[in-house]
Amino acid sequence: MGYEFIEGNEAIARGAMRAGCDFFASYPITPASSILHYMNDFVPEAGGLVIQAEDEIASLGFCIAAAMAGRKVLTSTSGPGMSLYSENIGLAIMGETPLVIVNIQRQGPATGSATKGAEGDIQFTRWVTSGGLPIIALSPATVEEAYELTFIAFNFAEKYRTPLFLLTSKDLGVTKDSANLDLVKLPPRFDRKKLPPGQKEYLPHYFEKPEDVPLISDFGGDYIARYTTSMHDKAGYLTANPAVIQEMIDHLTAKIESAIDDITLVKEDFQEGADTLVVSYGVISRSAAVAIEEARAKGRKISSLVLQTLWPVPEKAIRDAMKGIKKVVVPEMNMGQYLIEIEKLAPPDAKVIGVCKMNTTLVTPGEIIEKGGLL
Amino acid sequence: MSSNEDQIMEKEETGNTKKPGYSAKDYKSPLKPIWCPGCGDFAVLNALQQSFAKLRLPRHKVAVISGIGCSSRIPGYLSTYGFNSLHGRAIPLAIGVKLANPDNTVVVAGGDGDLFSIGAGHMPHVARKNINLTVLAMDNRIYGLTKGQMSPTTPLDTYTSTTAYGSYDPPVNMVKYVLAYGAGFVARAFSGNLPLLTSLIMQGIEYKGFAFIQVLSPCVTYRGKAEYDSIRENSEVLPDTYDPTDHKSACEIGDIEDKQYLGLIYRNDNLIPYEDRIIEMRKHAQKGKVIPVGELINLYRT
Ligand SMILES: Cc1ncc(C[n+]2csc(CCOP(=O)(O)OP(=O)(O)O)c2C)c(N)n1
Ligand code: SF4
Ligand SMILES: [Mg+2]
Repeated sequence: MGYEFIEGNEAIARGAMRAGCDFFASYPITPASSILHYMNDFVPEAGGLVIQAEDEIASLGFCIAAAMAGRKVLTSTSGPGMSLYSENIGLAIMGETPLVIVNIQRQGPATGSATKGAEGDIQFTRWVTSGGLPIIALSPATVEEAYELTFIAFNFAEKYRTPLFLLTSKDLGVTKDSANLDLVKLPPRFDRKKLPPGQKEYLPHYFEKPEDVPLISDFGGDYIARYTTSMHDKAGYLTANPAVIQEMIDHLTAKIESAIDDITLVKEDFQEGADTLVVSYGVISRSAAVAIEEARAKGRKISSLVLQTLWPVPEKAIRDAMKGIKKVVVPEMNMGQYLIEIEKLAPPDAKVIGVCKMNTTLVTPGEIIEKGGLL
Repeated sequence: MSSNEDQIMEKEETGNTKKPGYSAKDYKSPLKPIWCPGCGDFAVLNALQQSFAKLRLPRHKVAVISGIGCSSRIPGYLSTYGFNSLHGRAIPLAIGVKLANPDNTVVVAGGDGDLFSIGAGHMPHVARKNINLTVLAMDNRIYGLTKGQMSPTTPLDTYTSTTAYGSYDPPVNMVKYVLAYGAGFVARAFSGNLPLLTSLIMQGIEYKGFAFIQVLSPCVTYRGKAEYDSIRENSEVLPDTYDPTDHKSACEIGDIEDKQYLGLIYRNDNLIPYEDRIIEMRKHAQKGKVIPVGELINLYRT
């Protein structure tokens, strides 16, 4: 295709198609709707299914069940829709359901400043459903990354049998940029590991070590399977036994937390002797890049860490980047949601400065330089 | 005008021969509608203002509750109490306003998507409970605000931004839907017929119980200007000989889909509104007595 002028939402749709997505359901909401429009074009052509649901509760419900029946599934929404996804996300975690959920963030709460940008759902994504178990979330900064990380999100969802979150904002989703998706290097495609035929039985949540990812067998496949929204044993039967319940909670936690090295995606640009570090993610990392370039041009030594993996917190990468650092600057389109994660990890003598706003406009390089004291 | 002035007007009305009323423009807010020129929703706004004025409703006694959508912008353009709430949630909020203070006249306004897709789950319950609200389902057969996706009333085989191969979801029949759940007042109106629309809204507000009005309100941007003509061609005002108190005829009218009959389709004046029932119940509860519902209904009837 060469260079094209496309928006982030199209790149997400194409990344999903590249990953083999063959089921998509969603409910219209700006600024995520265009993913639904693109998928409407792409998926039927490829022989898959697209459904416009009656609401978000239904759309995620369709998706969870379709994923359990063997489909590779994507859904997309924005803040108010994420709120309605909440309960079903718990179900997906409980059932160990592989699927990808895209949140094209818009300013909130509620209808907010419909439909302008912000990244106010960072902590909401982490704690999106009751129970507080860990989730995985990735955040792209460019159209190419939107394509790449959607593909990778499918890989992680399949590999760890879990709902995967792709978080970006209106500013990337519906802004066109020139991009060449052919040049994006993708890892090999990973499809869920299935229980081979001829086994005695299928235990849908089987693990030996807590961090093991259970093999899966599709609804309608070789083995009868059952899932439940309630606490269950390895066979998927409801249980009230505290020891079994704790074992399952430990499994759902360890499965994600032990994957941290594999799922850590960051971009490091460190400078020898720098005492200032900018930690950024999403579209604002592009403002940060401009700010850093300007400051460096004036002789300042500044390191940069761009996070593509937001959850679980890539602690090791962040700690490594902060070695010898006296000042950490965290620009965000919210009131400091990732700032609190950085503060937890910063060396005691380092100053952590948030450059925060949520007034629907992007954090500019000038604001990062000024409030972050980069010059 | 403040609600204080409304109260003064009320006083004057009761104690005087001179009857100060309101004019439609008293119900206008300072916001200017941002609907597209030609949008059917202008007529609904106009009809609501006229109805409030003709019914001489003090503005502080009226609450207009909506969800999210082009249509749901309506409370912002009125000078009454208003709540532009969440997509699909106008009905629960309206129920809260009504039950907390049954003196309020409560109007719900929302789109076909708002009331019959994401918010459809509330409709059976508000209808069967018979809560004294007036619901205006502003039906443009499309999602206007979010730019032209299929709605629950989009006709079969329509190309929209989410139906690249034509829609294959059969549309919801609003009239049949609410009749099935026991609504006591069911009507269909059209933005292109303002006198009928105004008259039906007034009847709906005066009706003591759940009043449902489907308003065919064209979206000129995503369904084209021809929508007005096609509605005119495919609709007809119910004849004077039609008897809206007959449930069977109402169901028959509801069944007819190639012609959209306009007017009052069904009216049952023998139903007890929910809030009357609970007020009665509360009186008894305060006296420490429990009263069976059957007896309560009889009490009300006598
Ligand atoms: C939970 C949630 N999901 C989706 C949306 C996006 N949204 C806003 S209005 C709307 C539909 C509008 O259609 P309709 O209700 O028919 O009203 P109209 O604009 O046509 O008057 C949608 C999908 C939202 N605001 N909240
Ligand atoms: S998009 Fe359609 S429904 Fe919305 S204001 Fe314009 S004409 Fe009316
Ligand atoms: Mg509509």
